[in-house]
Amino acid sequence: MTGKTDTEKTSVLITGLGVISAAGAGMAMTLESFRRGERNAGAVSLFTTSLECPVFEVRQIPSSFIVEKSRTLSLALCAVDEALSSASLGDLTRLRVGVSIGTTVASQLNDLEFYRSYRQSGDAPMEVVDRYLKGNIAEFIARRISARGPALTVVNACSSGTDAIGMAFSWLKNGLCDIAVAGGADELSLVPLCGFSSLGIVNQSLCSPFDRDRRGLNLGEGAGILILETGASAKLRGKSSELRILGYGASADAYHLTAPRPDGAGLEASLDKALAEAGIKPEEICFVNAHGTGTTDNDLVEGKVLGRMFGPDLKVLSTKGFTGHTLGAAGGLEAAFTAAGLSEGWIPSSPGFRNKDEEIPLTPVREETMIKGRYALSTSLAFGGNNAALVLGKL
Amino acid sequence: MRPLYWGNCKMNVLGIGIIFAGGRGIERYEDALKRGWQRPGEFDVPRIQKRLPVYAVAQETLADKLVLKKMRRADKLSKMAVLAASDALQDSGTESAGNRMGIILSTAFGAHQTTFDFLDTIIDYGETQVSPTIFSNSVHNAAVSYIASALDITGPTLTVTRFSFPFQSAFQLAQLWLLDGRCDSVLVGVADECGEVMRFIFDRKLSTAPDGKVRPFHFSPASPPVPGEGSVFFLVSGKSPEKAYCRIDDIAFNCGPGFKGASDIDLIDSDGTVDGTAYLKALSPTVPVAAYSPLFGSLMTGSAFNCAAGALMIKRQTHYASPVLENPHRINLLDITGPARIDLMRSIGYNCSAESAVICLRKSRL
Repeated sequence: MTGKTDTEKTSVLITGLGVISAAGAGMAMTLESFRRGERNAGAVSLFTTSLECPVFEVRQIPSSFIVEKSRTLSLALCAVDEALSSASLGDLTRLRVGVSIGTTVASQLNDLEFYRSYRQSGDAPMEVVDRYLKGNIAEFIARRISARGPALTVVNACSSGTDAIGMAFSWLKNGLCDIAVAGGADELSLVPLCGFSSLGIVNQSLCSPFDRDRRGLNLGEGAGILILETGASAKLRGKSSELRILGYGASADAYHLTAPRPDGAGLEASLDKALAEAGIKPEEICFVNAHGTGTTDNDLVEGKVLGRMFGPDLKVLSTKGFTGHTLGAAGGLEAAFTAAGLSEGWIPSSPGFRNKDEEIPLTPVREETMIKGRYALSTSLAFGGNNAALVLGKL
Repeated sequence: MRPLYWGNCKMNVLGIGIIFAGGRGIERYEDALKRGWQRPGEFDVPRIQKRLPVYAVAQETLADKLVLKKMRRADKLSKMAVLAASDALQDSGTESAGNRMGIILSTAFGAHQTTFDFLDTIIDYGETQVSPTIFSNSVHNAAVSYIASALDITGPTLTVTRFSFPFQSAFQLAQLWLLDGRCDSVLVGVADECGEVMRFIFDRKLSTAPDGKVRPFHFSPASPPVPGEGSVFFLVSGKSPEKAYCRIDDIAFNCGPGFKGASDIDLIDSDGTVDGTAYLKALSPTVPVAAYSPLFGSLMTGSAFNCAAGALMIKRQTHYASPVLENPHRINLLDITGPARIDLMRSIGYNCSAESAVICLRKSRL
């Protein structure tokens, strides 16, 4: 079992990080934005909509990463490039590299104009279909970076990014590849905006995760990518890293298509599994980057479980106040932010939190907070009752 | 040649559930294997003013008041997946194992018909009047959520997608979950539907064989395909070989079909959707070849249906003739049905880039 007593053979290192979101393009810019407490939300500008709510759009994707009419792929390429660079990886053709990426929007053939055309005329442009067939995100990234190991796209709704990292973790532990490009990517799209609005969980103002007066989520977009690597592979190419993935846990609620299980048993089970795989106790966790969407139900269930397991003094935050809910990208971005928090020794204030909810036995951090400790958690809860957790370590 | 990646797999197939154009259940599938090719139904696609053959799952096949009683609002994809998963569990003779059982569903296109239904509500009623129920069901992992609820499975659950080797990739992941100890058994399978828009796309992109017959051995140029839909689930475990259909010995990618000793029968995923030159080059003249796509149609997750046939053949120690025997390249076809001694079978798939995926199915040994 991998864990804090890991060996070079079984350890899974994080040797690179790449992020892009409304908080910034690149980790350095993002951390500066976090320090300043910036919340770069605004009205939808990417498409025409009658829905009025703040969203967290990426202001500019560097032109070298633009894939025509495939914003999710563009975001992913940008984050992958930063992650590979920070891992000092160039030519991958002679390495055993896997690609495991979560998404939601990019997995669906949901082009409104294509469908409108089909409805009206019985015909529609096949370029849209071609783009879709070439755009399975894991297959696309694998082709683009010449990764020849396993490639699989995870479509587990809002836990996709976390589950993708967990899947890559299994690949590496079992020798399917030596290096994995893992995380999530998603673009802001009209379809989920309409869908989440219809569910009544989109906030008309900025989200406030875990706050007493929270009124829902803000949608966002972005990509978060981790380069995971076996200790042996990193050693072979002279790369070292203090950051590790130590444990992954996932559990189903088996309860409801959209609502979390009220007792949080599924989330608790996923946390238990992740901690057990990491070989650490709850009291060794120094902070949790929570799913924290800002919806009534999610934050209540998640807050209760985290409070129950880790106690009221747990340092907890939700970075969705900086990025919005980026759906399939969320787990990738938040794992990257968690890794950065461990590495940097500080976490930002949990944006939007003002008033404690007496039903939630936790108080998110209200200011930039120094971190002393070696282990942290990133959690995801999803449509369909998926719960997933990652334990990251700094050894 | 050293495989680029592989799994040294030791998992057993304990149960199979299947739903396809020929009906529901492994017995119906076995009947179809014995009976051979049957002409699929033809369906009007009004918007393109065409009538097309499709290996479609009939609504009557989805009629189930027990397993589906709490999911009246679920779509066709979810219902197919729940029934196949439930049948696989029942076929295994085991109970739901709660948090020690996992679910992995692989799909190429997900709930695309429901996605288009959701777009209908945007177009017809406006952005503020869309249906939350349709939206919830359009999410790729809705089917797995329904399976977990219907069977009370609280282990890890995952939905994955890719267009090349979606089933083989999921099957390999199930093996890793068992190796990692994430669960003791996994319901792993595929589900894909072929709704109206997909029928149009399929016909425009690939054309559709007008007589409804998939000809898997034409290879190059490939004979026109016929779209299919359905779901297959396998209950796999590292334990209980005495109950098993077969053992999965290996799942290998990009290493050609010849990385291991000769098999008794090779199953190929050829279904008319890609040029089959790679199959033609790879097949051994001494190993009989079968392809069962003419029973379930052409679909990216078709490998799971072929593997179900392979597992059944090993369990029954019976081989089933390929349903369509047109053989212009004179390969060594499996052309008769009858008793056989089968120890090892390979399920071989190639994609349009001539990359390969091979699953080795072997007779279980106690």
